[in-house]
Amino acid sequence: MAEKKATTKKAPSKKEDTKKVAPVKQEVKKAAAPAAKPKAAPAAAPAKAAPAGSTTKPGEARIGVFICHCGTNIAGSMDIPAVEEYAKTLPNVAYVDNYKYMCSMPGQAVISKAVKDNHLTGVVVSACSPRLHEPTFRTATKEAGLNPFRFEMANIREQNSWVHMHDREGSTDKAKDAIRIAVAKAALLQDLFPKTVPVEKAAMVVGAGVAGMQAALDLAAAGIKTYLVEADTSIGGRMSQLDKTFPTLDCSQCILTPKMVDVGRASMIELMTWSEVHEVEGYIGNFDVTVRKKARGVITPKEAEARGIVGGGCNGCGDCETACPVVKPNEFEVGMKPRKAIYINHPQVVPLLYTIDFNSCVKCGICVTACGPEKRAIDLESKDEFVKVKVGTVILATGYDIVPIEKKEEWGYKRFENVITSLEFERLICASGPTGGHLIRPSDGETPKRVAFVLCAGSRDNTGTGKPYCSRFCCMYSLKHAHQIIEKIPGCIPYIFYMDIRSFGKMYEEFYYRIQDEGAKFIRGRVANIIEDKKTKNLHVMTDDTLLDRPIDMEVDMVVLAAAVQPKEDTNRTRKLFGVSCSSDGWLLEAHPKLNPCGTTTAGVFLAGVCQGPKDIPDTVASAEGAASAASIPIHMGEVELEPYFATCIEEKCAGCGMCVNLCPYSALALVEKNGRTVMEVTEAKCKGCGTCGGFCPGGAIWMNHFTTPQIVAQIDAFLLGGEQ
Amino acid sequence: MARTKGYPEALDKKLREQRFFREDSNPEFTKNVKAISRTIAHMCYQCGTCTGSCPSAPRSSYRIRKFMRRAVLGLENEALTDPDLWLCTTCYSCSDRCPRDIIPTDVIMSMRNLAFKRDIVPVNFLKTVTAIYASGHGVPNNDVNRAAREKLGLTRDPPTTHMYPEYMPGIRKIIDHYKLKAEADRIIKEREG
Repeated sequence: MAEKKATTKKAPSKKEDTKKVAPVKQEVKKAAAPAAKPKAAPAAAPAKAAPAGSTTKPGEARIGVFICHCGTNIAGSMDIPAVEEYAKTLPNVAYVDNYKYMCSMPGQAVISKAVKDNHLTGVVVSACSPRLHEPTFRTATKEAGLNPFRFEMANIREQNSWVHMHDREGSTDKAKDAIRIAVAKAALLQDLFPKTVPVEKAAMVVGAGVAGMQAALDLAAAGIKTYLVEADTSIGGRMSQLDKTFPTLDCSQCILTPKMVDVGRASMIELMTWSEVHEVEGYIGNFDVTVRKKARGVITPKEAEARGIVGGGCNGCGDCETACPVVKPNEFEVGMKPRKAIYINHPQVVPLLYTIDFNSCVKCGICVTACGPEKRAIDLESKDEFVKVKVGTVILATGYDIVPIEKKEEWGYKRFENVITSLEFERLICASGPTGGHLIRPSDGETPKRVAFVLCAGSRDNTGTGKPYCSRFCCMYSLKHAHQIIEKIPGCIPYIFYMDIRSFGKMYEEFYYRIQDEGAKFIRGRVANIIEDKKTKNLHVMTDDTLLDRPIDMEVDMVVLAAAVQPKEDTNRTRKLFGVSCSSDGWLLEAHPKLNPCGTTTAGVFLAGVCQGPKDIPDTVASAEGAASAASIPIHMGEVELEPYFATCIEEKCAGCGMCVNLCPYSALALVEKNGRTVMEVTEAKCKGCGTCGGFCPGGAIWMNHFTTPQIVAQIDAFLLGGEQ
Repeated sequence: MARTKGYPEALDKKLREQRFFREDSNPEFTKNVKAISRTIAHMCYQCGTCTGSCPSAPRSSYRIRKFMRRAVLGLENEALTDPDLWLCTTCYSCSDRCPRDIIPTDVIMSMRNLAFKRDIVPVNFLKTVTAIYASGHGVPNNDVNRAAREKLGLTRDPPTTHMYPEYMPGIRKIIDHYKLKAEADRIIKEREG
């Protein structure tokens, strides 16, 4: 749950502070912890003394309650004066105030002044969700001279006024409950001191498509050692499969290869292709990542030198490929071209290093002979290697796949030869593709004269076989495809079947205008089904021209399905390794969709590119640069502050059973010998304060800071007893 | 006639006010359609997949997309008085393919239900009711069919109410419960005398 990294001031002096305070805190805890039990049972002892009025004796808890109107967001749905009057009757409450916008500077000043004037020991702000303004009010509490953890928030907006907008009485009562509960906890809050941990001056980027490459280049340029992990044999990702890019019509490879070369050359980037993240341990600043380098069968000149083969290693000559007798479909060409068992994706690969596909290699050894005794680059016995690296922050840029559009049987993909996907179209129209850039019908090799483009193929589809979201770049690349066939095939007419043309980017609408002007025909109607003429292999596209209000049966030579995109196949595995959530559609979940789109709820892990949601190339690059910038901040700061919510062991009570050690999802606990007894010990930096151990411990020997048993019991009592002590 | 100064009636029709006014729509109609059809009729985004799938559309003026639009906008009169409402064959192709997972066929069925409540129904549909009341079949067996069935080695009558007429009272009870037969008889009498 630790998601904050915002407080980053006076780093040098703070270190001293924490060190000085740490032993003191330890003692406070020991004193407080055993005393906690008896205190908890009669539900907040000091509370009993107070019902007469809001005056509390010095030394007892004095709580200030500050109620926010949030304009009319809160005040519009409940009776604020009634809530205020009620708050004054609560035990331990020494001061109550309300303000239009508590988070504003004057609002914070109200808190500051009240704390000083009334010698408050705790602050309760009843306003929005702590996700929004907890940091704000903690800072205000701190500036008023209190420990920032003497602050508690009561959410009366998201969980109250917004959902009970038309129930004024009910929401007023609920706000009273929320404040009563918060005050009960605030009375028992303790001073806590955040811990700082050093940050490893290295980063990892997972996925080397255009997003991962850009992020890695930015991190490297900022002087950070970056490990770039790519599952495929070379970097470049989806963008290297594309022919041209919209709306500028730049050749995709031409603008991408300079970046690929830069990545290959950058001394601060350690490129790990044909590799996967295997295991992740640790936390922000100190991730221990185990990378599985898949058996490649080919060694680099560097590796050859390490083995004592002078002047050896793969130089990309391709002699092995020529000799290899095994033929397989080439995945890079979407299976439309053969490759050998030893292969490279395309001539511009980075690194220029062959790879053996050990699933199809027959180990005949012909390639070894072809490679020759000087280079000795091929090792048929190579095995997976596991490399452990330590990094401070991580960027995930795992990209996307195309949905299995054959599941939409009505469109006949994989049933009708001349129905292809847009990714296949990219390879067919690309000069370096399987046909040398000549668009042909798969059925007979003829040049098509009428091509239908089916937009929203699987996007904006709630049936379960499709995806409910808009894939965001299909409209634009289909316009580009239309342009390409008009340009390459004289007289060829593209028919674009669309529901909406979403040309939202810079120069995109102008591009749409241009393509229509060039002669593309736009038909507003989603394609219902496609029927193949068995003889000619032509296709009948059936739809409704919704503007003409006439059903359409359009015979075309070829159909291109702008298939929806979905997260890369093993995204789920990768995200679980790093503890990142995903949204209901499968894309990785950002910390905030608007204000923190690159961050995640796991501190130190960031998102770049399409893995977070469909993006075109400019948006992907921008998101990658954003993620790189965010990921470099903790590294440049050198240390990060961790929330002091960690668990601690009350050693006198600990029986050393070790059950908590197994339960801990963060491997933060261990059993140690102390004074001749086996007790549990917490690695505080690893502990996320989830409370799993504290909730389980049969002896009650685990103290969860800021969520202590007495605090929680007081909250429950306050709720159940309805304020009547 | 006088208003169009001698132009033919077709033009008169074309020159009619065609704008859509807020008063034309009845939100209750949308709600009723949703309640009867039990599908999310208000979620249609007019992509045209339904009409594109429809076997009736290419051969008739029936446009299911138009009816979906009327359901969304609550155009009750326009929907219920359009004779095209009765041209759906209920093949459910549109329902199979609708990307919004709506069941347009059931929307049509709900509109037919609502139309029937206003006595708007073609007589041939009512004759079907009469046939079911009499025999349990909308299209009862006939001698041509019986001969064909025999040829195929089947019983002359199918194992339905034709073979088991003892189930007819039950069927009539259901139809009577909804006063379907009585209503049908009344309307047929009104129309045909």
